[in-house]
Amino acid sequence: MTSLAGQLGAASLVGADGRDYTRDDLAALGASDGLATDRPVALCLRDPVALIRALAALDGRTATMLLLSGALDADTVRVLVERTGCGALVTDRDDLLGHATALRFEDATAPGRAAPRAATTWLLTTSGTTGTPKIVPHTLKSLTRSVFRFTPKDAPNWGLLYDPTRFAGLQVTLQALVGGGRLLAVDTHEPIAAQIAALAAMGCTHLSATPTLWRRVLMVPDHKALSLRQITLGGEIADQAVIDALRAAYPAARVTHIYASTEAGVGFSVNDGRAGFPADYLALAPGGVKLKIVDDILWLRPPLGPSVASPEIAVDAEGYIRSGDLIEAAGDRLQFLGREGGLINVGGVKIYPETVEDTVKSVPGVALVQVSSKKNPITGTLVLAEVQLNPGADAATTKQAILDTCRARLVREAVPAIIRFVEGFEINAAGKLVRKGGAPT
Amino acid sequence: MSTLETSIRNVFGQVWKQEKNTDAPELTPDTVLLETGLDSLGFAIFVTSLDEELGFDPFTLSDEAFYPQTFAEFVAFYERYQPKA
Repeated sequence: MTSLAGQLGAASLVGADGRDYTRDDLAALGASDGLATDRPVALCLRDPVALIRALAALDGRTATMLLLSGALDADTVRVLVERTGCGALVTDRDDLLGHATALRFEDATAPGRAAPRAATTWLLTTSGTTGTPKIVPHTLKSLTRSVFRFTPKDAPNWGLLYDPTRFAGLQVTLQALVGGGRLLAVDTHEPIAAQIAALAAMGCTHLSATPTLWRRVLMVPDHKALSLRQITLGGEIADQAVIDALRAAYPAARVTHIYASTEAGVGFSVNDGRAGFPADYLALAPGGVKLKIVDDILWLRPPLGPSVASPEIAVDAEGYIRSGDLIEAAGDRLQFLGREGGLINVGGVKIYPETVEDTVKSVPGVALVQVSSKKNPITGTLVLAEVQLNPGADAATTKQAILDTCRARLVREAVPAIIRFVEGFEINAAGKLVRKGGAPT
Repeated sequence: MSTLETSIRNVFGQVWKQEKNTDAPELTPDTVLLETGLDSLGFAIFVTSLDEELGFDPFTLSDEAFYPQTFAEFVAFYERYQPKA
């Protein structure tokens, strides 16, 4: 049984301050005597370097780790810590240090290594931003299944633009550290132009981001200062325009778009420079991941099976996991259309239309509302609200009230970007509004 | 200044006011769009509001993949794809 510390390649971790942690530095820490390791340990750190050092110190030494984004609000952190029965919360946030079980990174870890005791369960959260995040269990084995081991002379310098507690960020982190590379953790609170300049100065060769973030990188005047060999897109649908623009800007780089769902673990990747994926993937099982499409929905079967059973994940008798992503066949190509049930992905943030509808409906003057996605060249999609007013209600006043109410109660991405007033809606036999298909209009 | 550029400036001002609740910064031809302070979501709303106002979206109409960096490039991009009257 090997822990993360035992699997570090010729790895190193470089922080925004330029400090370089070698493999030996990362492997030198273990759990402190003051940390209760028999119960789950929650990690909620703003500093990505501290988070990654904590993962290396605690994997194999605690039964369960709950990885929480350093940006989560304090109430959600408390709910998740209680729900998972955590006995400790490792944090660098002042607003959380008052929590009864909170302790700092320096107090949770200590020099000296005991042998790994047991395989640690890694609890990740999904990035849904309306409602409490779902918890999805993984193991180091399931998370590192697709890691490619580089030889030292080809060792990549991976830039980390993602939150390392989320699935995509953890993939970059583990690929760099286990695969034998350097991980460059820049300060993601800085403007994007400064982050790109820092990554270029540190010699970043490999970079992974959402299509929305890549479009922003392409708008940085000095974006060609990056000498990239690998460009990876994930977290949202990669359209042909962004793939073409990246290929033109970085002709020496391989452009890969990956499909991955937190539920299924690792998905698969596409390297041929075209949006969507080849239809023969259904027969080929890329990377050992078996795929099938049932009623236009993609199902995946990871080679190791679903990592741990969870009531929140739909698995069929053959072990396929339902992704919830709608697929359209066009010749020899399969294209992603969006999410079933109308789930809207704005720049990687997933939004339930029902939550937005409930908020809009609470505004005086609103009779009926339907929320759907509208295609957008910058963020993939935007939230569109179509509103039927009560007789006599003033459109301008109601529009402002809708915006004010949504801004007070919802994350920014969920606030309708476009509000259209309509005369009426299509109502089905059951008296419900007819929801349009998942495809953005 | 073309009518189109005036419309773009007006919509920028409205979106800025709506998103930031302050007056929009002055746009010069050399203004780098990223440095105005509008983030990806704000920029997405700007492009969509222009589509509603002008009735076309050059990002969708163009065959080339292009992401303008300065305000002058942005206006030129819209002028190139403006439907012929």
